[in-house]
Amino acid sequence: MTTATISQDDFLKFQEYFYRKTGIRFEDTKRYFVDKRLVERIGHSGSTNFREYFSRLRFEADGTELQALVNLMTVNETYFFREDYQFDCLVNSILPEIVARKKDKTPIRIWALPSSSGEEAYTIAMCLLERWRGIQDHDVEIISSDIDTNILAHAKAGLYSARSTMHVPEAYLRKYFTKTAGGFQIDDTLRGAVEFTRVNLQDPSDVRPYRNFDIIFCRNLLIYFDDVSRKQAAETFYDALHPGGFILLGHSESMSRISSLFQVRKFEDAIVYQRPGVGK
Amino acid sequence: MAFVKKGAVLRSPAEDERETSRDFDGLIRELDDADSAARRWAARDLAGHPSASAPLLTRLLRETEVSVREVILTALMRIADPTAVNGLVACLRSEDANLRNEAIEAMKSLPVEVAPIMRGLLVDSDPDVRIFAINILESLRHPDVEAWLIGVIEHEPMVNVCGTAVDLLSEVGSSASHDALESLKARFASEPYIQFAATLALKRIAPVPDGLT
Repeated sequence: MTTATISQDDFLKFQEYFYRKTGIRFEDTKRYFVDKRLVERIGHSGSTNFREYFSRLRFEADGTELQALVNLMTVNETYFFREDYQFDCLVNSILPEIVARKKDKTPIRIWALPSSSGEEAYTIAMCLLERWRGIQDHDVEIISSDIDTNILAHAKAGLYSARSTMHVPEAYLRKYFTKTAGGFQIDDTLRGAVEFTRVNLQDPSDVRPYRNFDIIFCRNLLIYFDDVSRKQAAETFYDALHPGGFILLGHSESMSRISSLFQVRKFEDAIVYQRPGVGK
Repeated sequence: MAFVKKGAVLRSPAEDERETSRDFDGLIRELDDADSAARRWAARDLAGHPSASAPLLTRLLRETEVSVREVILTALMRIADPTAVNGLVACLRSEDANLRNEAIEAMKSLPVEVAPIMRGLLVDSDPDVRIFAINILESLRHPDVEAWLIGVIEHEPMVNVCGTAVDLLSEVGSSASHDALESLKARFASEPYIQFAATLALKRIAPVPDGLT
């Protein structure tokens, strides 16, 4: 059996196609990473070369192969309580402000993406249960989304390694996890708290139904996008949020460099961004 | 109270109805909707239509809501065809300062599309447009940025335009700019700002002496 090779022209064609479909652009420095995965999928699909595989990829009706590629090309490493000062900000400042201005009994809606294997969404649920008294008075809906269907299955299953749970406080670990041979199984309370969905943030038809959120966590995703895709994502978040809704980015990301649509809010624990227009 | 799952998709019957009319003509009509959210969504969806640049540009010139303008500009950046790029160039000549600045920001993200017209913009008959073109170069990721700026300081007659180019050269220039900067100082010997800015640029592009690296 011969192994397919990826020429520079092949790489450029794939780079442009993948960018248009996902907003993720792989620079030349990622050649090895991309080539290795493309060769794997070419072999798996039974294609004999890149050209045949690429043709199949572009013209397949159901998008199955594209999804398989997306699953391989996306980075999914995260852990519980990552950048935990933002969860302090959530319970100490953001939620009290939202509750203070909330005029109806509809649930507080939180959108966390990319979900990756679920650590962030489950961390939010734990923080609400353990650190926010308002959970006794308010319904909360947590939706967590990712473009990678394999990782969503992992998130729903809720089985984690010791490395992933390294920063979980001991008391929470005892309360919400069960030690298994393979690691730690998260309990049904938390699994029942989060709804996981597949979303391509760059596809308007995918994101259009996502609206009326009070808070969005989008940490360490926009760094993988180019300028135009970042702006497009920011504009999507704008319409997904209620006026006055908040967005939290990763520590190295700044909305001010992406879009002028949001206002900076400096809270004691963290700097976050807010859609203007509270009370409109 | 508790955690609830109501389904991520919150869709009203009216929205479902709208979904069915999201063809090109429907989206163009929606660009004029009274609801700014509808206009944003129309512009967002039109980014997937290669022939949408002209109607998006038409709406941009009338649109007063900042959030809609931003989505229209992103859609134009996404389409990035000659109509979109020429429309952004036309915005550089607008009396509306916001629109000019928005066009400059948009063009900064289009190095491949802007590169073929950059030489023309840098010798435009309007000195303001020449300055705006240099503003675009500030963060245009293109290998010819320094060469374009050298061309400006070698041939540009207006001191303000040269000053803008020198300021940027002091950030992005290399030893390749050295001779052009010296020539500029000689050409504008009685202009204190050019003397100051070009001297500063020369200092910044000078090779680091051995032993300090």
